[in-house]
Parts: sequence; structure tokens; C-alpha cells
Amino acid sequence: MNEKQVHRYVNRYLEATGCTILEKSPAHFKVKLSPEADRELTNRPYYWSFVDRVGAEPETMSFLFVTDKVRYDREADAASAAVRPGPAAPAADSRTAAADAALARSFGFVNNSLNVPWIPREDLYFGSRRLEQIFDAVKSRGSFVHMFQEPDSRRGGNLFRSIPYTAWLGVNIKVEFACDRKREEIHSFGVSMVTGHCAERFHERLLGLKLTPRLPANIHVASNGITFAKALSIVEQTLERKLKGYDYSWAQSAAARQEDELERMNAYYKPLLEHAAEDNKQAIEEQRRQREAEIRWQYEPRVTATAINCGIFHLEGID
Amino acid sequence: MANHDTPRSVTPERQSVSRKLHPLVDLNLDRSWFDELQQRLSRNGPWDDWTLYQLAMEAEQAQIVESFEELQCLRSLPGLEPMPHQIGTAGKVLHEMGGRAILADEVGLGKTIEAGLVLKEYMVRGLVKRALILVPASLVLQWVRELNQKFGIAAVAQKKEHTWGYDVVVASIDTAKREPHRERVLGTDYDMIIIDEAHKLKNKKTTNYQFATQLRKKYCLLLTATPIQNDLDELFNLITLLKPGQLGGQSEFAANFVVDKRLPKNEDQLQEALSTVMIRNRRGDGGIHFTKRFVKNVPLKLSPEEQALYDAVTGFVRERYDESGGDMNSMLSLVTLQREVCSSRDAVFLTLVNLFKKTAEDSPLRPKIWELVEVIRGIKANTKAKKALELVKEMNEKVIIFTEYRATQEYLLQFFRSHGMEAVPYRGGMNRGKKDWMMDLFRGRAQVLIATEAGGEGINLQFCHHMINFDLPWNPMRVEQRIGRVHRLGQTEDVRIYNLCTLGTIEEHIVNLLHEKINLFELVIGELDHILEKFDKGDSIEQQLARALLASGGNEAELQRQLKELGSSINELRSEALTGKTNRYAAGGGMPVRLDKLGETVEMGP
Repeated sequence: MNEKQVHRYVNRYLEATGCTILEKSPAHFKVKLSPEADRELTNRPYYWSFVDRVGAEPETMSFLFVTDKVRYDREADAASAAVRPGPAAPAADSRTAAADAALARSFGFVNNSLNVPWIPREDLYFGSRRLEQIFDAVKSRGSFVHMFQEPDSRRGGNLFRSIPYTAWLGVNIKVEFACDRKREEIHSFGVSMVTGHCAERFHERLLGLKLTPRLPANIHVASNGITFAKALSIVEQTLERKLKGYDYSWAQSAAARQEDELERMNAYYKPLLEHAAEDNKQAIEEQRRQREAEIRWQYEPRVTATAINCGIFHLEGID
Repeated sequence: MANHDTPRSVTPERQSVSRKLHPLVDLNLDRSWFDELQQRLSRNGPWDDWTLYQLAMEAEQAQIVESFEELQCLRSLPGLEPMPHQIGTAGKVLHEMGGRAILADEVGLGKTIEAGLVLKEYMVRGLVKRALILVPASLVLQWVRELNQKFGIAAVAQKKEHTWGYDVVVASIDTAKREPHRERVLGTDYDMIIIDEAHKLKNKKTTNYQFATQLRKKYCLLLTATPIQNDLDELFNLITLLKPGQLGGQSEFAANFVVDKRLPKNEDQLQEALSTVMIRNRRGDGGIHFTKRFVKNVPLKLSPEEQALYDAVTGFVRERYDESGGDMNSMLSLVTLQREVCSSRDAVFLTLVNLFKKTAEDSPLRPKIWELVEVIRGIKANTKAKKALELVKEMNEKVIIFTEYRATQEYLLQFFRSHGMEAVPYRGGMNRGKKDWMMDLFRGRAQVLIATEAGGEGINLQFCHHMINFDLPWNPMRVEQRIGRVHRLGQTEDVRIYNLCTLGTIEEHIVNLLHEKINLFELVIGELDHILEKFDKGDSIEQQLARALLASGGNEAELQRQLKELGSSINELRSEALTGKTNRYAAGGGMPVRLDKLGETVEMGP
């Protein structure tokens, strides 16, 4: 994610969670969090449990989120240089600026305006702790949806003719291929509950549609032809079939490494066990077993499929 | 929904199913989402927001790890610019060594950075969640800071027992091995363990080593600049921690690779066996560049008043020594007085006052001490400080001045300020915030930094390449630490070091010993480590120096002789340590078995 992408992402998060944006530029947001976002981001469980118990009006925190540090700092410098009265001109010198900043930090000047409450600054970039926290919040709050496609308004025509809709089970799955190393893939499936047809890249298809959580007028949902359990097994089978066609040379080499390590490890412990005093044997054997478990843990090839999120989607048409 | 891959997480049977994908590989399918979805359907909600649903998918897409190979962590560490050899090392550990390795770079090449890169990469890939970093107690906070600041890893210093619950914990091994911590640590499966200064584990009989073998770990890094200090068994023991059997069993190892315990055979095979577990980068390997250092001694003649004080103090110390009948231990602190006179009258004054307070009221010493204080009054100017000011003005660039004494530091601050030169202090006792502030000031408008402390990673002064040793520590390691603050990776200029040295005093002898006899200032970074470890004869160099000084009883020739002896014994160690080419076949000869040939170097492509 580059700065622009982070900026757009954060913007959508703030809007979706109902935060109040006090000020923004392409490089930053000054924002007062909504209670929902405050709970997710500020890590103040005691405060929130107090608010919940007492029923007090919550005071949420404000942040300055900087999404493009270089640009923001440049613009802030330019702005403060413009504001500063004449004689301080040589302050443009970066050394002096650094020293002034250090002094200000020590003495606690905040822009010389004591009335403005201090707003902590956070730099958001891909990999920053705060952005990761937003990712985590989003992942836990964007897991299960129930959506309807909005009927195409251009259709006009017969307002009274009801449009048939199909329910789809949609699920986004992360597949992890792991041994001592790892790679991942994302798959997105949709299964028509009417026909049992399984579509791939389903999420992309959804992104091209207008969706709403409310049931639109003049539609009717075709009755399901298959059960949810059946839909689940269709998803799983499709994924399994797909994965079976993959190249597993990585797993073979990992397994070979594992065998190699096990052999070497056993060659080390075997004479040790043979020559060990009776009362010592158990300890050595236990250590050997522990090493063995570690090697399996480290190298054993495995594939895991976990759902990222899922939902029921009612889409136009019968298929 | 993030389900981390750990062997501990026990998922209820019906929440996941397993299928065979390949004779070697099972597919584990998570089903918990399906149950939850059905529950929500049956209760008609609650449903999540569609935008958040999309954002969740986008977050996953942004974080996806597409390939086994490519380093992922770099794109999430915009503030870090690792050197090519550091990236190369991390890559090698990840892709060729399965995450278990000895990182044996020479001092100053950034083993910490390499370990941090490996750890971060595994965390980004979701292969490591719980990590334990065991380091000497003095380095705990430094590691915590580096992991947090440079790598964005939420590492926590182990303080209380509950701290063990955090995912990434930095602790001292001496604490971790004791109850109640021991039980917590040994009861945890760590995805990754990093042990810094791992050469301290070389002896398998120690409790530290025993403890280390009992740790349960998936990946493991051992960091040491000196994988072999004395004999090959040490290396064998370290490797047994990582990959038992890599060098065969103890007896095979002895038969295959060892002639004498300090002398390997079949070096090529040893080299090959080692190259799969150990990486050693050296200064001078392609791509690793250090600038030169130039050292200049600045001889100074004390003013008559200062000389009078020096003589008076020397007389006082000698008297006490004669009285004590050669009892060294109580005398060592008195030698400090002599050293302090060479620094500033303020330093010696403070010590004298303290000594006065400690002396019994009716002691005949009291008037003598008071006499010395009277001599101090006679001193109006500090020869060294004047010279230092002159040098600083001449250089007209950033300078760091080191002194051993707080009082001298205070005096110098005053002195420089009264001459219109902005100077800021730096000392060990300052808290983190103040240290950072002082660094900012020095980076900014202050031309001079006056420091009493050289240890601690906190001060990296690559932007400054002038250094004045106002006085010299007697411990060569501390001199090296001082130089290491400015002469390090990332320094782009040649480094200039000035030693202020008062003639006709013990200081002259010390500078002489450190500079001319053992050539300390020209040693490559890190070399001193090897030498001093070997030098350990029970007494530190400092103590031996003080002893020689007192025992010579003012006999200049005798003192010269003793210092020369000390110097040449260090020198011997040094030439042995250098390449191991001397005495290779003599028993007890210099170890590092051409250490320089051991271990894998990272290739640095264009």
C-alpha cells in the first residue's frame, strides 16, 4: 500500500465507523473518533467499561493521522514559516529548527496556543502499528454480511413485475502453504443456493454491483434448491480440487529436509543414549523427543484454509 | 478470524476438517465461519457493515504473502535501510537455513539488525507469534528499543512474572533461568528464540547452557561475534543447541575435525558442515565499508600551578602507599586522584572533599588533605580546556569530547559557554527523554557534546567525525566504545581522534601504552574483544596498571619497564588473535583457527 492507498483506506474506515473528520488534506486527517472506533483503537477497556456501567456520555479521543509524512511535514513547515513574524527568518535553517523543536518539547510549547487541546499525532503507513490495528479492527468488524443487490433503476418498465433473486453463499478464503517457509493465496467463492453452481472470483463480481443491506421492493427471492451444508461442501470440494492440481515440490523438499534433520538428530542421540548412565537415560530421551517435535513443527508441510469473511448475497437473476 | 498457525491451538473437531491433498500434505479446512454464519442467519443478524467487509478483504489482500522467497518485511519498514550484507544474511537464514542459525558477524556489522529482519519477516508471514529474546541484562532495554523503533515489533522487557504473557519478550537469561520464571519459560512453545552474546553459552556444564537446551523452539538464532574463543568444543556446543548432530556426535566430531582441541582438521569439510548453520560477515568483505581513523596525540605542558598540584597529590598518594605497607586494594582508589589532577581541578577537588568527609575527625590525614585543597586554590586556568577550545575552534565542525569525570564535564560546559561556544552534556544518569533531547541539540545548533558515558547504543553519532579524549579511561574496552560511537557503519567521513595528554604525568604513560605500545587506536573494531577476553588474568588491565604505578614507587625506569611488559603481553595476544598464523601449531597457541575462514559469508551481488 502506498501513501495514496493508505489515505483512501483510512478515509473509508473513518467514514464507515462514523468518526468526525475535523480537518483533512491529501496528507492527513484530524479526526474525533466515534465511540465504535474509539473502542477499537484506543485500548482503553477500563474507560469503556466505566462508561458502559455508569451510562456516562463518552468522551472519545481525537487524533492527527498523517498518511503522507513527507508531504505533511513539508506543508506544515511552510505554513508555520509563513505564520512566524519577520525577524525569525533564519529559522529556516534546519539545525535551528531541530534545536527549537527540542526546546519546545522540553518546555512544552504547543504552537503557542494553550487553548487547543493537544491532539496526538500518528503516522500511518503500511507496517505501522496503528494501521495494523485498524486492519485488525476492520477484520473483526467486517466478517459477516447479508446483502441485496439494488435493482437496476433504468429498467423502469413494469414497476409491478417482481424481479427474481438468487441467494448466494459467498466466502473469501485465505489459503496458507507452510513448512519452515510460507506463502499465501486468497480465493473467493460464491455458491448459488438455487442451482448449486460455484463461481470463483466471487468477491470481484460483488464489487461491480450496488449492494444494500435492506430488502428492495418488487423482488422475490427464489427458493433455495440446496441446503447450506451442501453449499459448504461444494465450496470445500471446489477448493480441494483446485489445490490438488498444484505443484507440491516445495512440500517434498521440506519433507526431505525434515527427514534429513531427523536422521542427523537421531544419529547424535543414539550413541548418547547407549552410553548414558541408566538414571540419565530418561532425561536424554526426553530431550531427543523434544528435538524431534521441534523439527516436525518447523518443517512439516501443511496447507490451511481459513475464511476471511463471508455472507449471504441476494443477486438478481436465477443462476 | 485470524487463526494463527501454532501447534497449541486446539480447534474443536467439528470446526475444522482435514483432507489429503498430496501424499505429504494435508489440507486443513476451517469451518468455524460456517457455524457462525448459520447462527446469525437463524437469529437474523447482527450483520456487519458492507464497507468494513470490503476493507477487511483489502487488508488481507495488502498483507498477503505471495511468494516463499521475497523478503516481505522491508516494505513495512520504511524507516529502516539495512545494509546489503544484512539483507543477504536475513535471506539466507530464512531460505536456506530453515530459521536456525548462528549469526557470527564481526562486532559492529549489525547482528541485531539481521536478527530483527529475520524475526520481523517471520512475524509478517505469520510464522512467528511468540518470541523470546535472551540477552545480557545490560542489553535488555536496548533490544526492546531497537525492536520497537526500528522494526515496529511490540517487544516488552521482562519485569514481572506476568510479562511472560506477552508475545515478544526480551529477558536476561540469568533471570529467565530462575524460578518462578523458569517454569513459565520452559512451559512455553516459542515460535522463535534469539540468544544474544551466545558465546556465553559455550560451556555445556553451565546452568545457562542446560537451561538453553531445555527451551522449546521452532526457529532459533544465536548471536555472537566470537563463536570460538578457546577451543572447538565451544562451537560444537553452540551448534548442538541449534541442530544436534550437524557436526556428528561428540566423538565423531572429535575424530573428524579435531587434531588438538584448538586445531581443526579436514577444514574443508568442517567449513561445509558449518556453512549450513553459521553466517559470518567480516569487515572488508565486499560492500562493507568503514572509513579510516586518524589519531593524534596532543602533548601539553601543565602550568606551574597545575604541576604543583600534581606533585603534591603524587606525594600524598605515595606516602599513603608506603604507610599501608603495600596493601593494594585500599590504594587503587587513591590512584584515581592522580588521574583526576590530569583532568581538572574540579574533579580532584570533589574527590578530596569526599575523602576528607570519610576520614575520622582526629585523623592526621585531615590536615594533609586540606593542604592539597589549598594547592587547588592556586590554580586559575585549565591548560587542557584551553587547548580543547582551541582545537574545537580550529575544526569548526561538530566535536564530541569525552571525559571520565562528572566534575570535569560540568567545568567544561561552563568553560565553553563562557567562551561563547554552545555545548551540551550527555551522561549515563540521564533518562531516555533527556538523552534524546541532548542528541537533538547536538545534531542541531550545539557544536560540542561533552559526554561521560560511551556505553549504550543510545548515542550513534555518525554525523560527527571529530572526537577529543579529554582524558583516557584505563580500560581499553571503554576507549574502544568511545570510538565506536562515531566510527561505525554509516559514518561517511574519516574519523579524527585527538588525545589530550599532559606530559610528565601518569597520563603520559597511559597514552603511551594504549597508543604506541598496543596500538589501540588502529585496531579494527571488534578486535579488542578477542584480545581482552584472553587477557583476563584475574585482574583487569586497570588494576594491573594501578599496581604497576604504585609498586614502582616513583622509580621512573621501573615503571617504564612494567608498562612495557604489560604492553608486550597484550601485543602478543593481539598478533596471535590477528590471523592465527603465528603459533598455529604450538600448543596453547592462538586459537581462532583461522576463524576467519569458518562460516558462510553472504555473497553480495552487484
